[in-house]
Amino acid sequence: MSKRVIVAMSGGVDSSVAAAILREQGYDVIGIAMRLTPDAPASPGVVRRRGTCCSHEDFEDARRVAERLNFPFYVVDLREEFGSRVIGNFVSEYLHGRTPNPCVMCNREIKFDRLWQRARALGVETIATGHYARIEQDSSGRHRLLRATDESKDQSYFLFTLTQRELARTLFPLGRISKAEVRMRARELGLANAEKPESQEICFVPDNDYGRLVEQMAKPDQVRPGPIVDKAGHQLGNHQGIHLFTVGQRRGLGIASTEPLYVREIRPATREIVVGRRAEIMARGLIARSVSLTGAGHEAPVQVNDEPIEVKIRYRHPGIPATLRLTSNDRAEVRFVEGGPAVTPGQACVFYRGNEVLGGGFIERAIEA
Amino acid sequence: MRRLAVAAITRVSDECHGNPASVHRSGQYARKILEEARARVAALIGAPARTIVFTSGGTEANNLAIFGAARASGRRRRIITSAIEHSSVLAPVAELEGVGFSVQRLIPDRDGRIAPEQISDALTDDVALVTIGLANAEVGTIQRVAGLAETIGRSGAISHLDAAQALGRIPLDAAELGCDLMTLSAHKIGGPPGCGALYVRPGARIQPVMLGGPQEGGLRAGTPNLIGAAGFGAAAEEVMTGLDAERARVAELASFLFARLTVAIRRLSLNGPLTGRLAHTLNLTFPDVLGESLLIALDLDGIEVSMGSACAAGAVEPSHVLLAMGRTPAEARSSLRISLGWNTTADDIARAASIIPRVYERVAAAAGDSEAAVS
Repeated sequence: MSKRVIVAMSGGVDSSVAAAILREQGYDVIGIAMRLTPDAPASPGVVRRRGTCCSHEDFEDARRVAERLNFPFYVVDLREEFGSRVIGNFVSEYLHGRTPNPCVMCNREIKFDRLWQRARALGVETIATGHYARIEQDSSGRHRLLRATDESKDQSYFLFTLTQRELARTLFPLGRISKAEVRMRARELGLANAEKPESQEICFVPDNDYGRLVEQMAKPDQVRPGPIVDKAGHQLGNHQGIHLFTVGQRRGLGIASTEPLYVREIRPATREIVVGRRAEIMARGLIARSVSLTGAGHEAPVQVNDEPIEVKIRYRHPGIPATLRLTSNDRAEVRFVEGGPAVTPGQACVFYRGNEVLGGGFIERAIEA
Repeated sequence: MRRLAVAAITRVSDECHGNPASVHRSGQYARKILEEARARVAALIGAPARTIVFTSGGTEANNLAIFGAARASGRRRRIITSAIEHSSVLAPVAELEGVGFSVQRLIPDRDGRIAPEQISDALTDDVALVTIGLANAEVGTIQRVAGLAETIGRSGAISHLDAAQALGRIPLDAAELGCDLMTLSAHKIGGPPGCGALYVRPGARIQPVMLGGPQEGGLRAGTPNLIGAAGFGAAAEEVMTGLDAERARVAELASFLFARLTVAIRRLSLNGPLTGRLAHTLNLTFPDVLGESLLIALDLDGIEVSMGSACAAGAVEPSHVLLAMGRTPAEARSSLRISLGWNTTADDIARAASIIPRVYERVAAAAGDSEAAVS
């Protein structure tokens, strides 16, 4: 019997083509779509919008691909787990003055944790997704997580939490091909979702109004107005809740100033938003928590301390040279080689050497200039 | 599908090109086929042929019964049903509730039984309709309905039994049951899917829902599904000839499977009563596993079982029937329904008896793993 693999399918073109490629390579593919978000209330006569994960239309799209390519397909209900581990975390991070990255959490907590557990129940040891990233095994047997060949689509940033345990049992069939090729393959295969647009929004915030989601899920006393102050503590204005701000943001402060002002710090205890000029938000580095290394679990750990690396502090960040020092099991100090940009607590910082992801963590705070 | 149903469908598809409503001879031939099918389906419940209204399935029959009775109800504005009905009963009833009917949903005991007194106690002079499933789809509990239709009739309400599950599993006699309306489904007895019928007692107060033609005694406008009806009729005839032997055979297979699973899986429990149930439905709670995972794992190993009902997205939902029977959501999520069909063989059961415990062990081990990893 050929090797069984579970492909996590969203109904989008990427995971569909990933499944098709594995099927061509002779894998015994099982498609699984994850039901993650609560259903929108049924409103008869109203056609639901498409384009975000987890609508019924997306499941239908995935099911049609499975029918066309002739492999079994199931929907598993992970709403409870997604609600507590991803949405709950998202809300809590904003309420603590941090800016979360739910896609990283979803990979860590859902796709590469809960879905794994479901896979084991089915006797399946390998999972594949439509992520644009590569995994290669080196001569020592270590599995290396690498950027995608198509750098414009590279999603390795979202996958830094994977360690040897997961990397050894994961397949990214799209790592070496471009998005254009993916669409071409989909057209060749006659897949109905070949031209389906990219999902841009956070899947559980379909109208992109994340502030309202936080307000709906928070306790009333957690969302309260507060002052906007400068470094010296002078009040410059008021705001409607710290969850509406991100460190480094410039727009939407509602303060008249001769020079552009940026959010420099969010102080949840006093509900203060501290703003400053551009020069004041620059950081020399950052402190990261919940740090993990992709080489963890391999007998010969990769030397990362004091090594020159490149760090990405946001998904679309180009990456800048830095040095890395692990200060404990799961904490690290990253120092930018040159004065760096604003760092946003809560965002993932991912350590690269060349094309390889060495690991990463979540930004706790900036090391100030 | 049953052999005779396939044969009838093939023959009618080949030979019959008419519309039973047409005057010409092709139409007359089509009409003859339709009426023969009607007589066969009627015979399965001991009823005259003219009491059978063909529909597109059990769901349409339930909709016709409920909306049709509501349209004929005059000033009576109450509906009595139970909390464990099929969604094709619950949804129409909820729809009527939204337009002003008041609805009482009776709660069953832990075995899924509605006591006859629950129904008689609820009967007031403003009840339009009592709609109850004769046998439950998910746990197989058979309701004690002897004499019930008479009580309902005396109160002036219309009685409807959803017998889609019971048909072909236990002997049904429309006259003995005494109900006004009864839902039947073809594919449950090895007939074609997409075909069903509503038994309508002569004189029962009911209005059509589908309008636009005189077909089916004026109760269901539209050209009937002749091929489906022919298949339904043939399946009914085949069921009739061997019902007792088939019941005994399926009961034996089901109890063998249940016995084997009980020995192999600790704390396995049966939902529904031990007697007074449809023998072919085994609804089982498997301790410490998600039914969803077990269902998929079994399917991949060639054993097809069901769980609750599927949502529009295709994910399985915990059964509303089990919840109404007092099971916890966790218990409902750990429960699966194993159904034996007319085409289930002793070999199939032997295979299921060996595969299910093995797959269960694996799924339970994976569930245990993750708890260990978390703690």
